[in-house]
Amino acid sequence: MSRSRIDLQDLLFGLFLVAVAAGTLVATRNLVIGHAADMGPGYMPRVVALALMGFGLFFSGRGFWRMRVGIAPVQLRPLLAILASVGVFALTAERLGLAIASVAAVILASLATREGRLVETMAFAVVLSGAAVLLFVKLLGLPIPIWPR
Amino acid sequence: MELLNNLLMGLSTALELNNLLFCLIGVVIGTAIGVLPGIGPIPTVALLLPFTFSLSPPSAMIMLAGIFYGAQYGGSTTAILVNVPGETSSVVTCIDGHEMAKQGKAGTALAIAAIASFFAGTVATIVIAVLSVPLSMLALKFTAVEYFSLLVLGLIAAVVLAHGSVAKSLAMVLLGLLLGLVGIDVSSGVARMTFGIAALSDGLDFVPIAMGLFGLGEIIANLERPAARRVVSQSIRSLIPSRADLRAAFPAMVRGTVLGSVLGVLPGGGAALPPFSSYALEKKLARDPSRFGKGAIEGVAGPEAANNAGAQTSFIPLLTLGIPANALMALMIGALMMQGIQPGPQIMREQPQLVWGVIASMWVGNLMLLVINLPLIGLWVSMLKIPYRLLFPAIVLFCCIGTYGIANSLFNVWLMMGCALIGYFFIKIGVEPAPLLLGLVLGPQLEENFRRAMLIADGDFTVFLLRPISAVILAVVAVLLLAMLSPAILKTRKEALAE
Repeated sequence: MSRSRIDLQDLLFGLFLVAVAAGTLVATRNLVIGHAADMGPGYMPRVVALALMGFGLFFSGRGFWRMRVGIAPVQLRPLLAILASVGVFALTAERLGLAIASVAAVILASLATREGRLVETMAFAVVLSGAAVLLFVKLLGLPIPIWPR
Repeated sequence: MELLNNLLMGLSTALELNNLLFCLIGVVIGTAIGVLPGIGPIPTVALLLPFTFSLSPPSAMIMLAGIFYGAQYGGSTTAILVNVPGETSSVVTCIDGHEMAKQGKAGTALAIAAIASFFAGTVATIVIAVLSVPLSMLALKFTAVEYFSLLVLGLIAAVVLAHGSVAKSLAMVLLGLLLGLVGIDVSSGVARMTFGIAALSDGLDFVPIAMGLFGLGEIIANLERPAARRVVSQSIRSLIPSRADLRAAFPAMVRGTVLGSVLGVLPGGGAALPPFSSYALEKKLARDPSRFGKGAIEGVAGPEAANNAGAQTSFIPLLTLGIPANALMALMIGALMMQGIQPGPQIMREQPQLVWGVIASMWVGNLMLLVINLPLIGLWVSMLKIPYRLLFPAIVLFCCIGTYGIANSLFNVWLMMGCALIGYFFIKIGVEPAPLLLGLVLGPQLEENFRRAMLIADGDFTVFLLRPISAVILAVVAVLLLAMLSPAILKTRKEALAE
């Protein structure tokens, strides 16, 4: 934690909200608004987006004049490893089957920490993959291929 | 005695063999995730949701409810033995519970925690049974106007009473509402914010969002912190507390139960706020407050009773009004909708088997938990020896498979990945994600009732103030919001939540 001149937490949240609100307004620009007694599909999204925009501007503004602690530095290793693990599962699950996708996902997730030991991780991944196949496909009947087809 | 009849009907549902089995599965899973720090009941319930499709509605709800209150039992075990809260609701138990363990009284602390939880669970079950009928009668008078106001109250109160900055939580609710609007508009059939993605036309599934924000985001943030977990390695002697211990703990237990029951019913209630309030109360009432923090038995009994009572009575708004008191109850609403049951005031009349079955199962489940937790404590302690480096990859994998399983769609897995990133971002900037989930689940209902109310009133916004019930509800909302602006209350709230 470092002291910074601006409240980074507030500022980032505010900018995030502004971005979401702006995105919504653009995405819904062609929807009919209607009026209160007969609302079109675009009525609620726009009302909510404008409110979010207000909050976003408020937080961004407050972030600039308020002194607070900054945010702890981002560690890329856990973040990337977990996201990659999920991504690999999404890419491989239907093509290569649950067994291989599970092993790949567990090994990638394990990379998130330096504590992992190679042999242990490998063995654990295989065991987990077997358990997942037994539990989800055999027992709970999840319709997903087990092996590549 | 209608109440007795209702309870008997509930018991007959709860005692059916398969429902007993699902109750047992629920409380065992609940205890397990309660014991393990780093996995909460929200991702667990989200994970198991897809697999409750094939169950009957009562079995599904009984099991999911069991996970929630089971987690409160399990959380205290970790708090006492490791000084790490297994759940947020057991943070307070760490203070005096772990101190007792260090003094060699781990057995007594565990026993008192379990007994207090059981006592509170029993009382809370009765409270639910008594309060449910009149509340649902009142709710039957509601039209779209009142229902909209009630939904607003639910959301606002949830924000005000929960942790974190009120303004930020309000923004999160709005964000959730916005996400809830994605998909085909029911009344006009026009696709909104789907960006041409076919998977989005039915709206966003809340399971991948919940798992990404609460499960994976949390894991990434956990991994950034250096791991430190030491189990108190003493053998647990005598699990039976002495008569003096019981006498010291009993009044605290009763006070904790009352406090927990009241705070649990309020929207925004649940298991997190009651234990803090109870601890503060016990400390204030004690003849010698300095004992607290040094192994005071009241400091274990009160909060433990309070969190269990709160966990259970937070089902009341859900079962009678169809309004979730917290993020977990929002998931339960999702579970109901997946079963084809529309949550709302009519649920009690149309699904008495379900409602009373779930209520009665809570008492049955509490009895099971007492047995599971006390004699089998050794088993749970050994579970604590599973290192986190093996635990989290398994959670990640199960989240992937579970998310896929809701609709057999890979889109949901990608959605979960995106939400994991956003969840991590929220943790980094210190924003609570729970209000978002509430907004997401309630969003469609809120819009539907708002539109219907406007249709009835011909676009006249004053209708919300002209109907008496609605006006009262909105007045409460206004009072809550104004109270938040007053500096004095703001300060006490901050202290109460920080304690």
